[in-house]
Amino acid sequence: MTSLYLPGIFVILSGSFISLLFPDKMKGAVTSLCIGAGAASISVFAFNVLMSGEPATFILNLSEPIGAVRITVDMLSAFFTLFIAIMSFTSSLYSIGYMKEYRDKGKTFAAHFFFLPVMVSSMLLVVAVQNVLAFLIIWEIMSLSSFFLLVFDNEKEETFKAGINYLVAMHIGVIFLISGFTILSINSGSQDFNSFKAVFTEHNELTNILFIIFFAGFGTKAGFVPFHTWLPRAHPAAPSHISGLMSGVMIKTGIYGILRIITLIPEPTFFMAYFILLISLFTGIFGIANALAQKNLKKILAYSSIENIGIIGIGIGVGLLGLAYNIESLTILGFSGALFHVVNHSIFKSLLFFAAGGVYKATHILNIEKMGGLIKSMKFSAVFFLFGALAISGLPPFNGFIGEFFIYWSMIQGIQGGTVPLIVAMIVSLAGLAFIGAMSLICFTNLFSIVFLGNPRSTFHSPVTEVTAAMKGAMIFQCVLIAAIGLAPVYAFKIILAAAGIFHGADPLTEPVFIFNTLGSLTTGILIFTVTSAGFILLRFLLLRNKNVSQFKTWDCGYQRGNSRMQYSSSSFTSPFLKLVKPLINVKEKIREPEGLFPGYASYKSSTEDIFEAWIINPAIKVIEKFLNLFRWIQNGNTQHYILYGLIFLILTTIWIMAASK
Amino acid sequence: MIGTIANILFIILFPLFFTGCINRTKSFWGGRQGPSLFQPYRDFVKLLKKGAVISRTTSFIFAMAPSVTAASVVSAALFVPLLGKTSFMSFDIDFVLFAYMLAAGKFFTIIGAMDTGSSFEGMGASREAAFSALVEPGFFIILGSLAFIVNASSFSEIMNLSSVSPDLRIIITVLSSIALFIMLLAEGCRVPVDDPNTHLELTMIHEVMVLDNSGPDLAFIMYASALKMVLIGSLIANIIIPADLHPLISAAAFISIHLAIAALIGTVESLLARLRMTHIPQFILYMNSIAMVISAVIVLYVSGGLR
Repeated sequence: MTSLYLPGIFVILSGSFISLLFPDKMKGAVTSLCIGAGAASISVFAFNVLMSGEPATFILNLSEPIGAVRITVDMLSAFFTLFIAIMSFTSSLYSIGYMKEYRDKGKTFAAHFFFLPVMVSSMLLVVAVQNVLAFLIIWEIMSLSSFFLLVFDNEKEETFKAGINYLVAMHIGVIFLISGFTILSINSGSQDFNSFKAVFTEHNELTNILFIIFFAGFGTKAGFVPFHTWLPRAHPAAPSHISGLMSGVMIKTGIYGILRIITLIPEPTFFMAYFILLISLFTGIFGIANALAQKNLKKILAYSSIENIGIIGIGIGVGLLGLAYNIESLTILGFSGALFHVVNHSIFKSLLFFAAGGVYKATHILNIEKMGGLIKSMKFSAVFFLFGALAISGLPPFNGFIGEFFIYWSMIQGIQGGTVPLIVAMIVSLAGLAFIGAMSLICFTNLFSIVFLGNPRSTFHSPVTEVTAAMKGAMIFQCVLIAAIGLAPVYAFKIILAAAGIFHGADPLTEPVFIFNTLGSLTTGILIFTVTSAGFILLRFLLLRNKNVSQFKTWDCGYQRGNSRMQYSSSSFTSPFLKLVKPLINVKEKIREPEGLFPGYASYKSSTEDIFEAWIINPAIKVIEKFLNLFRWIQNGNTQHYILYGLIFLILTTIWIMAASK
Repeated sequence: MIGTIANILFIILFPLFFTGCINRTKSFWGGRQGPSLFQPYRDFVKLLKKGAVISRTTSFIFAMAPSVTAASVVSAALFVPLLGKTSFMSFDIDFVLFAYMLAAGKFFTIIGAMDTGSSFEGMGASREAAFSALVEPGFFIILGSLAFIVNASSFSEIMNLSSVSPDLRIIITVLSSIALFIMLLAEGCRVPVDDPNTHLELTMIHEVMVLDNSGPDLAFIMYASALKMVLIGSLIANIIIPADLHPLISAAAFISIHLAIAALIGTVESLLARLRMTHIPQFILYMNSIAMVISAVIVLYVSGGLR
């Protein structure tokens, strides 16, 4: 089975070059085929690793300075490899339909399908490679290729700005990674990840500070607050399958990084656990509160990704508490919950982005306040979106619920097993997670209703049409996964358990019976809910069968002049709740009130600002800019000066070498 | 076996009687003779027999929403200990599934209301979503704290407080009954959070969300909201009733507590005015504060801080 891995990566990567040979009409299909074939062989390989419990190792001997690169697909890597491969395939399938209308864009179009396989293969490699330099190079390739994919619509100034913002954010993140890895490799004298375990054991005092450095580096990719500011800009700018791929899959490589560092730390500290738990709780609440305030369809989804990263982080935090306090059930359940949510989020978030892409293709707007009633012309997309919305709100019978259930479960285990600080932390997290769940219910009922339900709020230039077959196919695949994990979580849990086993060091094949028992009852409960729902719908149908069912207009309280603009808008829907979470959101309002006895003109404008960007990042950038301005005179465009610099440099080096040789 | 049948009958028959009791209490305070205690049953059957008027704006979402909502509440009833403190199903942290099933029902109620494109219903949906979001943390804090003190994690075990020392138990019982009663008022949309009898659409919350529903749909909604109140009331009853009673006595106590709750709701509704819309969040946050007090008391007690 090991022979499937590297050839699989090669097949995916070859898609880049093969697509260049084909005419524009077939580029999408060819790329998708290559990614599909490679992904299939890699998923079989990864699934096999997970089920057999035996890691696979490959050594690549590259020339200096990289040297021998160890690629080890252990349980954690196999888990990430599996879902990255599957989700990348659906994204590429979706791209066939989505990119159709951009065929006339020539080189940009070709470049898009060149970089797509590059990004996919770099994501696959980054979770497997165990050598610092190779890791950083692939990490950089991943960032760059996703940047090129992001700025597809590069004539738009906004898109380009978002791209640059993303690029800068990624490089600030990478600075942290480079410094963290440098400290580790200097101390261990090796570039291999495994050698770092010894460093963490010997230099106990470094553990916390290194963890913070890595958290900042990987957290920038994942989107933890306060490193999240690139997400709400990048996602609306990118093509939908790229948003789906970035939000559903790529940001999870940041989570992988954090998890990988955790596996390298032999004795996780209390500080690490409480640190990540606290930040994640805040990330979750902050993300979803801001999602509520947005009006741009994809921006809402971007902020909700931040929220979901928070939920994953809560799971990791609880798992770490389990390691720190040495409570095994807490560790298993916490990390399983986090990994469950990693997979679940990648499925439903890319589904939501795909459906949002369909909406954008049909209406050419992203402002949800102008949409409405799309369910009539886009029935399929509406159903897909509803699946995603239910799943992301964590509601049974879909997959989002299972992940959150595990995290709740771990918290209850923590409450029962511990000391006062642990109990208090768990009760606070319990309340926090419940609050996050309730807020995401508001957010996604709002989003679904405003976009798809009611009457259209504006007229569109061209008739709204349903998405193409390839796009439908990709979305149906995601819906099936959502329902399958939701209704039969045991199978998915077996895979998760194999991966989560890496954290508690126990034999991954020994199965914690109590989890399986509960999971069985849980499944029964969820199935009963599904069957009862179907039963009630059937009952309603039977009751109304021979009755008089008439159609009439919506109750308007006797007012005869209602129009579609008078419907409840997203702003009005979310306003009662937003007033309660005001401190987290900076809403700017511009009101011109109606004046006089016969008011003519009145207007209301509102916009939101990310408080971290407005109050922390922008001021920080200003300070840095001011400081750097002090050195502006060096770069003065005068050729003579540059020659002088060269001369000074030469003299200084000569002095240095002469001094050193003595 | 008899217990299961009794519980099934309880779920099917009792909720509408509960509504009847509330209405009767209100008529008592209003000095009226009032409708029969069984009037809700007659309304329910009449609605089931009727046809329906459906808005042209709506889609299949509107058609399925009341059914799914009713199903969610009925399925949630599986985990709550009912007569004789027995539940149909019980497993680790089944209360999370309970809360999330109710949330799934709420999701469909909200999108069903939004499907009509009516601003009245949008208004109700928006308020319901906002206010019920505030209830969730409190509910989880209470359940989490109780799970800690009884060292168990399923609903039926958590609701059995016999292992708790008597003095702590009194505190927990009083505080959680108050907190859960506030939750009942908020989730059941009763005064002072919402007035089910109001005549003005602008001030409604739950009633306005179902303005366009008629026939069997309305019957489902009526039953579901009554059952939801009964389920939350059952939590209060379970915390109060000791576990070691004879099943028959326990069942009698269970029904009596429900009747008392119905009378209390009716009394509150007759004597209090509903709160101003802006004050409702504060009222619901009382529940969260009480929940935090419960958790603080329990943690302090167990760690020896209160002795």
